[in-house]
Amino acid sequence: MNYSIMSHMIASYPDERTAMQVAKGLSRGGASYLEIQFPFSDPTADGPVIQEACTKAIENGFTLDRGFTFITELMKIIDTPVYIMTYAAPVVYIGVAEYLRRAKASGAAGCIIPDLPVGSDEGMYQISSELGLDCVPVIAPNTSIARLQEILNVGPKHIYAALRAGITGTKTELTEDSLSFLAEVLKYEVKVLGGFGIRTREQVSALDERGVASVIGSYFVERLESLIETDADIEQGMSDAISSLV
Amino acid sequence: MAEQINNMPNEQGYFGEYGGSYIPPQLQVIMDEITESYNEIKNDPAFIEELKYLRKHYIGRPSPIFYAESLTKQVGGAKIYLKREDLNHTGAHKINHCVGEALLAKRMGKKKIIAETGAGQHGVALATAAALVGLECDIYMGIVDIEKEHPNVARMQVLGATVVPVTRGTQTLKDAVDAAFEAYLKDPVTQLYAIGSVVGPHPFPMMVRDFQEIVGIEAKEQFQEMTGAGPDALVACIGGGSNAIGLFTAFLEDDVDIYGVEPAGKSFKEGEHAATLTLGKPGVLHGFACYLLQDDEGQPLPVYSIASGLDYPGVGPQHSYLKDIERVQYKTANDSEAVEAFYTLSRVEGIIPALESAHAVAYAMKLAKELGPDKSILLNLSGRGDKDIDYILANYPPED
Ligand SMILES: Cc1ncc(COP(=O)(O)O)c(C=O)c1O
Repeated sequence: MNYSIMSHMIASYPDERTAMQVAKGLSRGGASYLEIQFPFSDPTADGPVIQEACTKAIENGFTLDRGFTFITELMKIIDTPVYIMTYAAPVVYIGVAEYLRRAKASGAAGCIIPDLPVGSDEGMYQISSELGLDCVPVIAPNTSIARLQEILNVGPKHIYAALRAGITGTKTELTEDSLSFLAEVLKYEVKVLGGFGIRTREQVSALDERGVASVIGSYFVERLESLIETDADIEQGMSDAISSLV
Repeated sequence: MAEQINNMPNEQGYFGEYGGSYIPPQLQVIMDEITESYNEIKNDPAFIEELKYLRKHYIGRPSPIFYAESLTKQVGGAKIYLKREDLNHTGAHKINHCVGEALLAKRMGKKKIIAETGAGQHGVALATAAALVGLECDIYMGIVDIEKEHPNVARMQVLGATVVPVTRGTQTLKDAVDAAFEAYLKDPVTQLYAIGSVVGPHPFPMMVRDFQEIVGIEAKEQFQEMTGAGPDALVACIGGGSNAIGLFTAFLEDDVDIYGVEPAGKSFKEGEHAATLTLGKPGVLHGFACYLLQDDEGQPLPVYSIASGLDYPGVGPQHSYLKDIERVQYKTANDSEAVEAFYTLSRVEGIIPALESAHAVAYAMKLAKELGPDKSILLNLSGRGDKDIDYILANYPPED
């Protein structure tokens, strides 16, 4: 069995050295993509687990410089494509074009910025396609078909489907509603990443059956925390965490 | 230019380059619904009638304007007039938009209305409007503010609202907004988020302004009637900017100097003030673009003011725009000036202002001296100071 998983982690959390081990472990364990979050103080779409981790990463001195350096270093040792996830605030602050240029230069495959939606994206989709960077739009179950088509018109390679409303963290039941929402998206020629509350192999398998890759976030952050608490080998532990799901 | 000002925002919610909606997609659909419902309701004669009725018989509008003669004498300069929003039901301007938002929530079939609060004025006003209209109400409030604004917490509880303590971050207004947003994201279907100022994603800055605009419309007429002319200057304090935009909107095309007053706190050192327009730079927070106090990484900075209702690192997008086009000048008053103005207005006029409003009073006193006796200043006295009395007595007891 080999399921496709986008595993989520936070840059500089709990510190840069450990974060590097986390990334290596996730990659070695079989992640198809790494989603690396650049922490922002007010992460609107995230639940408490990721929120607190972001706060700590900022307290530990996270900066965009360090974030991009981290990706550059990481890309020297892994082949897994990396998507940098963050919120609009720090991106708009340095300028969308500058941000994307730096993301590209670091070796990242793409970006995910949930609060820069198509149409209010300050040129992100235009610039990223010029740079050859894969920016992934986010949709939710209440996204209309007309809106979905508008989004697909910018030609993304991947689309991130949040499987329910709300914030990251708590487990999502894959209901009829969320599955029929996915079915709609799957009609189009775009690779679908499904996330929000994915924590078990059954969920991963159910999504895989439909050709959807699973995005897993809070679960891995929690696993990391228990590894830290028990003083376990981080790289090995994260590798095990993901290989039990893929 | 004037015409442009009055057609703002555009359809995407932009005032120039500020405003808009920087929000995750699941929330965008909801904001579109709110915009649609609001656009429907605002032209509906039944809604207009109901709002008009409630303004008059429930809020107690029009609020008077009062010539503060003794204060004027004491300062020795321009004549100072007060628009008495402190006399509204619940004691501040916040009730103006809360009644509007509660009626909208009802019309949209929502069960519950939720919001953040800093000083507790918005929370009390919303809890009041919720009780009136028959909605449940949850108010998110930082525990630092809960400590400081205890009378307002008690009022919300008596009114049947649930006060949800917020312990994250700086435990003040910004974090209360985060917590309310989060609660809203979890259930945007049965709840309506009634944001407390002219901030947040579109349509809030527009909608809250429209509900507050009545302040300036009344004041303009009253001032004309009282003095036979228009004022030379307008002054209002700026937290998010709702009371200020409420007063300013009707005057934007007039020949009048307009001043917004931001809190300079203890000093202009990082973390000791909330002078967003004065010291901030354009950025994004809580779903909209505005001037923002942020570090070199685009992270919002901690803010502080003696007035809980003013300590927010962002500011309304329309104010950000009005600053850039230089239609409004943004000034500051610090904690001690506000406290002094608090006592002065209380002692000289028998009007105890909210600490927020006291910032406007402090600046107006300065401005009056500069302008001289031939000029007149119209000041928005956004709220009454009962909520601040315990805090002031404990920390700044009267000297005599
Ligand atoms: C009396 C009073 N004035 C002013 C404000 C500041 O808000 P705004 O700038 O939106 O008027 C508050 C906020 O709580 C308030 O209670």
